Amino acid sequence: MVGHLAWLKSRLLWNGLRTDPQRRVGFPVAVIALGAAAWYLADRYREAMSDLSPAAGRSFALWGALALFSVWATLPVVIFPLDENLDPAQFALAPIDRWKLVTGLAVAALIAPSVVVLVLLLGTNVVVLGTAATVPAAVAASLLLGIQMVVGGQLFSTAVSAVLRSRRGRDLAVFIIMGIGLSGFAAQALIAATVGELGLERAVLAHGLDGAAVLLPPVAAQNVAVAIAGGEPVEAALSGLVALAWIVGMAWGWMRLLDWMLTTPTESPRPNRAARSRGMAGRAWGTRKVLARKELRFYLRDPRQRLVWTGAVIFVGLAAASILVGTGSLAVFRRQDWLPLVAPALVLFVGLPIALNQFGWERNAASYLFVLPVPPRSLLLGKNLATFAALMAETTFLAVALAALSGGWSTLWLVPPLAVCSAALQLAVGNVVSVVTPLRLPREGTDVFAQATEQGCLAIASQVVSFFAIGMLMVPPASVAVLTVAFGEVVSPWVAAAFAVAWGAVFYLASIWLAGLLLRRRLPEVVQWVQVS
Amino acid sequence: MGAPQRPGSDHNRIVVQFRRDTADETSVHLATPRGLHAEPDTPTSPAVWAKGLTRRFGRSVAVADLDLAIAPGEFYGLLGQNGAGKTTTIKMIVGLLRPTAGTAGIGPFDTWKEPLEVKRRIGVLPEEFNLYERLTGAELLDFTAAMHGLTRTEAAERRDELLALLDLEQDAAKLVADYSRGMRKKVALAAAIIHRPSVLFLDEPFEGVDAVSARLIRRLLRGYTEQGATIVFSSHEMHLVEKLCTRIGIMEHGRLTMEDTPEGLCRRMGAETVEDAFIAAVAGVDERDGPAWLGTSPG
Repeated sequence: MVGHLAWLKSRLLWNGLRTDPQRRVGFPVAVIALGAAAWYLADRYREAMSDLSPAAGRSFALWGALALFSVWATLPVVIFPLDENLDPAQFALAPIDRWKLVTGLAVAALIAPSVVVLVLLLGTNVVVLGTAATVPAAVAASLLLGIQMVVGGQLFSTAVSAVLRSRRGRDLAVFIIMGIGLSGFAAQALIAATVGELGLERAVLAHGLDGAAVLLPPVAAQNVAVAIAGGEPVEAALSGLVALAWIVGMAWGWMRLLDWMLTTPTESPRPNRAARSRGMAGRAWGTRKVLARKELRFYLRDPRQRLVWTGAVIFVGLAAASILVGTGSLAVFRRQDWLPLVAPALVLFVGLPIALNQFGWERNAASYLFVLPVPPRSLLLGKNLATFAALMAETTFLAVALAALSGGWSTLWLVPPLAVCSAALQLAVGNVVSVVTPLRLPREGTDVFAQATEQGCLAIASQVVSFFAIGMLMVPPASVAVLTVAFGEVVSPWVAAAFAVAWGAVFYLASIWLAGLLLRRRLPEVVQWVQVS
Repeated sequence: MGAPQRPGSDHNRIVVQFRRDTADETSVHLATPRGLHAEPDTPTSPAVWAKGLTRRFGRSVAVADLDLAIAPGEFYGLLGQNGAGKTTTIKMIVGLLRPTAGTAGIGPFDTWKEPLEVKRRIGVLPEEFNLYERLTGAELLDFTAAMHGLTRTEAAERRDELLALLDLEQDAAKLVADYSRGMRKKVALAAAIIHRPSVLFLDEPFEGVDAVSARLIRRLLRGYTEQGATIVFSSHEMHLVEKLCTRIGIMEHGRLTMEDTPEGLCRRMGAETVEDAFIAAVAGVDERDGPAWLGTSPG
């Protein structure tokens, strides 16, 4: 059965590559990008290990395993999915033993470009930890760690998916994501400060992962090789048993979660009372306004879109943590009057997944939308109206929070024109990208974070390129704003505000004209690209 | 095709008002312009047409050089086995799939030259449920009405009437995602007709719909065509095709191989029912038995 699931995954991957141009482009991009990142990390790991004494090296290896496991497990949820999972719901009626099912799903998860990361990093681990006598232990440790990473990653994203199935869970999700982000940030800051103060050698020796920490899953796995290298075979054997127990425990938890999810329906969002009583005919009416209202409803009711818009909360959390706790250079921001002006730029990160893929989020409903007699330009304008409103709300929230943290209330007035400019430029780039390369989103399966790696990579790549394009376009209005706030009003504040709005408007108008024209010509192609099979 | 002609004046409008208390399936009430108006574009041009319509997917030909002309007021049944090219044809006529060759249109309008004029005149009930699942039933109808340019008052009136007619009043505030299959069909049908299109494309409209609602929908659709609207109907339920359609087109391997009235089709194929005639037309007489292992008792 495990072999059948592995075959199914490889067949799906191969068929996807044959028939889907997005995957044909995205697959090699994903392999190269992930391979390069893994190579860089492996090289740094090898270099650090060669510089450390044997005792420090062993401690560093344990820390490395813990960091790798944590990042691997949480990254798909926080940033973008690393893997396209087989949807367990499709096997719900098949007479498959549950243990075989989770084993098969875990093996199938390895048939993806992201496996290049595992192979490179764990291979380096074997090379670095294994001497002639300890190679078997290093291989065993790396295998255990690899299995833990796969099972732990699946367990984590399934757990967050389970949380997102309930109405209350969708509200909690933002705090979960923020918690992960904050913990990651705090851990990074703490480690950087400690290593900066003591140096790597003394830091890892002073803060070794011993005692109860050895019971943590990745530490126990890695300790199989580390203990053998330290001449402690009994400890290595015990660590191996602990690591195995963790694998069984995580797989059992994953299996139970899947069982629950496959037999419990997702709670639909409950429309508010006004929507229940009046439908949509009660307020702003007209093609564009109603389209915008539809979009705003989806920002709240679609769990993935809702998570996208919680990005601002994460930024506030990070800004608050960095400024209040004080971590080196970031602490200087606390006294900067201009800090609120950063808000329009930070919000660019938040809105990009939606602004750059206006039609991908429609999924199959795109064919419903596109048989309606709405001019393509009105379609874009309606969608832009909603995104603009959400961006303005997010920017205002973020700017006020930053002003409160930094005391920079005096520059707050310049935020609205800069925010208008920033949103207009984001939409200007986003409209063209949305029409030229709409990104197909995955079918909503049991695991809401399941997405083809190559699609995630394409999304990230297109967002990075677009982000830089938007950033370049932001330079002139930002420069004028700097002249106003940092050099004693060399330029009148009114001129800065007017310039920002006019600059954004020019690019937006040009884009809406071009994107409207392109959409009119490419409408059937856009439908084909975003339809989920 | 000639220059576009705008819809006729009010006296040309044909109005159907629905009444739930009508017990007789065949009765239709003509009423005030508050209900649905079917607005034929011009009596001389076909309501739906295609010329040399072709679509290839790689080497396979889904639709091959298809010519079609459906007159205003016809209830046209587009039949064919799975994969015969029915859905591909409808997609090309409504503008969702670009033809490899040929063109299609509605009345005087070419879908690929004047897509908006075509979309203003059509209503589509899709085969798959490509609806907005995260809107409530009422919101979906309001949204569709707004996209078709109806006023807020018109939209609210028609929405309430349609929801009541289709027995969805109590579920109007539920998300479409929470609807049963039959309820989704009904709300999709309501969305397809809320703007009183002159041409309706219906793909399996009765699938999953309960008997009471199915009768209601049949009455609604028949009344609608009697008032001048054109319906293109794709279904595998042959008794419904026989009951409703005024003309039938049979597609095989992307080609329109036969076109006739239900009675004419039966006569030509020497069959008693449309189902028999259809099977004789596309498959001949199939005397094959099932696999031998299915004939043994299940273990």
